[in-house]
Amino acid sequence: MLLPELGYSWGEIRAGLDRVMVALVCALFALGIISIYSAGKGVRSSTVVFVVRQLVWGGVSAAVYVVILRVGYRNFVRLSFWLYAATFLCLIILDVRGIASKGAVRWFQFGNINFQPSELGKVSLILFMSRFCSRRPPENVKNLAAALAICGASVFMILLQPDLGSALVYIAIIFAILAVAGTPVKYLAWLALVGLCALPVLWKGMRAYQRLRLIVFLDPYIDPQGAGYNVIQSRIAVGSGGLWGKGFLQGTQGRLHFLPAPHTDFIFSVFAEEFGFIGGIIVITLFACLFWRILRGAFRTKDTRAKLLCIGVVAWLWFQLMESIAMSMGLAPITGLPMPLFSYGGSSLLMVVIALALAQSVAISPVRENFAHI
Amino acid sequence: MYKALDHFDFDHRLMYVRNIFIFSLLFLIAGLVYFQLVKADEYVELASRNRLRMIRLPSPRGNIYDASGVPLAVNVRTFEIRAYPMDIRRDEDYESTAGLFARHGIPMTSADLKERLEKQYVAPYRAISVIGNLTLAQVSDLVMDDEFSRRLFPSPVWRRIYPAEALAAHVVGHVGEITQKELEDQRDLYYQAGDIIGKNGVESMYEEQLRGTVGEQVVEVDSRGRRLRNVNYNDPQKGADLRLTLDLAAQREALRLMEGKKGVIVAMDVNDGSVKVLMSVPTFDPNPLTWGISARAWSALNDDPDKPMMNRATGGVYPPGSVFKVVTAAALLMEKTVDARTDVFCPGYFRVGTPARTFRCWRRSGHGRETIRSALRDSCDVFFYQNGVKLGIDKLIEWGHDFGVGEPTGVDITGEVSGTIAGRDWKRRNLKESWYQGDTVNYAIGQGYLLMTPLQLVRVYAAFANGGKLVVPRFNSAKKPEWKDVKVSKANMDIIRQGIRDAAANGTARAASGFGAEVAGKTGTAQNSHGEDHAWFVGYAPAANPKYVVAALVEGGGSGGSVAGPLVGRMLSYLLEHDK
Repeated sequence: MLLPELGYSWGEIRAGLDRVMVALVCALFALGIISIYSAGKGVRSSTVVFVVRQLVWGGVSAAVYVVILRVGYRNFVRLSFWLYAATFLCLIILDVRGIASKGAVRWFQFGNINFQPSELGKVSLILFMSRFCSRRPPENVKNLAAALAICGASVFMILLQPDLGSALVYIAIIFAILAVAGTPVKYLAWLALVGLCALPVLWKGMRAYQRLRLIVFLDPYIDPQGAGYNVIQSRIAVGSGGLWGKGFLQGTQGRLHFLPAPHTDFIFSVFAEEFGFIGGIIVITLFACLFWRILRGAFRTKDTRAKLLCIGVVAWLWFQLMESIAMSMGLAPITGLPMPLFSYGGSSLLMVVIALALAQSVAISPVRENFAHI
Repeated sequence: MYKALDHFDFDHRLMYVRNIFIFSLLFLIAGLVYFQLVKADEYVELASRNRLRMIRLPSPRGNIYDASGVPLAVNVRTFEIRAYPMDIRRDEDYESTAGLFARHGIPMTSADLKERLEKQYVAPYRAISVIGNLTLAQVSDLVMDDEFSRRLFPSPVWRRIYPAEALAAHVVGHVGEITQKELEDQRDLYYQAGDIIGKNGVESMYEEQLRGTVGEQVVEVDSRGRRLRNVNYNDPQKGADLRLTLDLAAQREALRLMEGKKGVIVAMDVNDGSVKVLMSVPTFDPNPLTWGISARAWSALNDDPDKPMMNRATGGVYPPGSVFKVVTAAALLMEKTVDARTDVFCPGYFRVGTPARTFRCWRRSGHGRETIRSALRDSCDVFFYQNGVKLGIDKLIEWGHDFGVGEPTGVDITGEVSGTIAGRDWKRRNLKESWYQGDTVNYAIGQGYLLMTPLQLVRVYAAFANGGKLVVPRFNSAKKPEWKDVKVSKANMDIIRQGIRDAAANGTARAASGFGAEVAGKTGTAQNSHGEDHAWFVGYAPAANPKYVVAALVEGGGSGGSVAGPLVGRMLSYLLEHDK
């Protein structure tokens, strides 16, 4: 199945590796580990379990990163139709199970490990769109409609789960790739308009807890003890960090357990409380540099598919970054999306690293003099 | 080869999109500037104080009454004193609080208090109970004390009590603190840890109606945790009351009748399915369960071999034995295997299969010639053996399903089981054996792979009594009667009714007669591989114009007539007498 000639040799990897990108990823992961450690150090209960597990997952992800570099992004793009079909099938199975059990089912369980197809789906969606949109550029209605229909189907399956947060990530990815792939601006505007009109329908389809999150986003004081309280407490955590922060392990909001799920959803609140405005600026800047480096690869390659792949990866990371930081300040509703490279959680870390490896693989590609599209 | 858009400049678009992404991050930075630089002082202050405190005010549950308005579940107001872990966390806090209690005659050491509070800890702003179960007098006494800290919050707690104690335990059920699993499974996010929820019976079935709406009090406190003012107050709303069809006086009579026995008496109105009596014995007092029960008492209740917590009427399954013969009879008549005049000679045994197996009639000397009517009267096994084999198992099971065997009755209390009416497929799958004629023979008289709950049987007999309506039993008097029709013709129904009327008048079921009511009914003996057989009796009265149906099952009671018959006779007479 995998064609070795599409991958890279160790020599090529050494020659073409974007070391700045690797360093940025490592730096962000390290800051994430620090935050997870701090989140686990409560006054009443203290645990390093999360840190240890996250480090183990970091090791696994690093190994996968190297493997993906060897295999090369071209192999994955080549197999993307199959990957997309397989994840779509997983989503259908989950939805059927969810309907059978009358609850939200988002993952398959293998022993201790939860496998969440919607995470893998982000990778396969990017690969699929890159290939599809370079083959059939969405310059006309027919090609655009085909791309939207195929990708919209998996968005729909995810909304059924229901997992609104992931669905929004998919939409961001789809929109970004379509925009770069050459969709006329007029169509893009129409798409945005249709999206806005669909909001009331979405509201109708939401579960009680999802609506509650939106309501408390608009006015957290409506429900100060429940979900709204979380928003207020998170905002207090961020705000009280001030310019310099309270210092490592000195955050009171996190350590006194005012923050819910501090090591996952509210990881940035923990970080911002202890490292303040300076820390926040550093993290945002690191991410901005990372996006810049990923897209640098996109500019340097001549492979359209690779360009689309890179913008897809950036759109994904960008959306989750925006959402989780804005949420921590109460500027976006709570969706439960992890902050890339920061939040505790093995499978989401692994998937982000896979996406970054694909982007790195694009960055390596110009070392090949032969640009033959195979 | 890939088609490339040669007229299209991807990099141009790419640059645009990249710039949008990068510049949008300024939005985040603007947010950080606003909250961390402009408003920093305000939030530092809020964090250092965290001044809002929320108290959840539990709502009183709706009362539950019996058919004549006697309370079965009510609330009494007790008081509890709560506090926030963030306020009470130093040793001197524990000591002063424990000292306060000790001065007012409530024994508690600071070590006890500390342990108690730490056990309940969830989050610093989540109120926990410092001490519970106080009277109004005790609370006012405490509050008047000069040293009563303003960091302590007295609040009313509704304690559920069941005045009928063990008499209605299986029907009413009980409440208890919500478990972690129930919290995770809830659909509408109503509950929080520490809330009270119906655990079983009517309390659980009608939870949403009974629970009411919780209230909430929001108070602002100063930096030392002392109350400054009320910010918000929502009254809790009491839940809706519920009046049951259950008759507590009749329950008491049933308990008296069952004295010294194990088993169950169920009585139901034949027409609308309202259950008058459901007495499962041994029973238990639900009161301790609602208020926290010691681990030892709980395991004693749970591990009791007599299973007092099990509702035998809906959760216990038994072979129905001969009481099932009415279903067999309906199947035989409707499938035209027999008619009213078909007779069978009963020599006291029946031989079937190769190699032949002998099945005995309960009367070893035989009954002689029997028609279906007299076979019901005499409970002649051979008649049903022989014609059951002719009818075949598949038809018999089909008719069993028509009478609701093997499916829940739909009664409105939780914990109901379906029983089994297992046929060929089941036997092949589970026992890896094919179906023998001998199995059909057993089925025809209610033995074999047939298991039913007493309530299912009550329902079957009610259908005969009311002329063909298989009613859904109900406890909520406000619930509309529901039923489905069984497909037995009136003429055939009458034959069976005559048969069981004869049985009670001068046949095997006459033990139920002589207590006042004119009964139609059937005895049964359920073979029990674990010990003495179970005694069954199901009957209704008045035989001519039936009003109530009663089933009695006595575990280990031996043969049905003599033990269970009088229970049903007396229960029916009692119900009819008190009906005026």
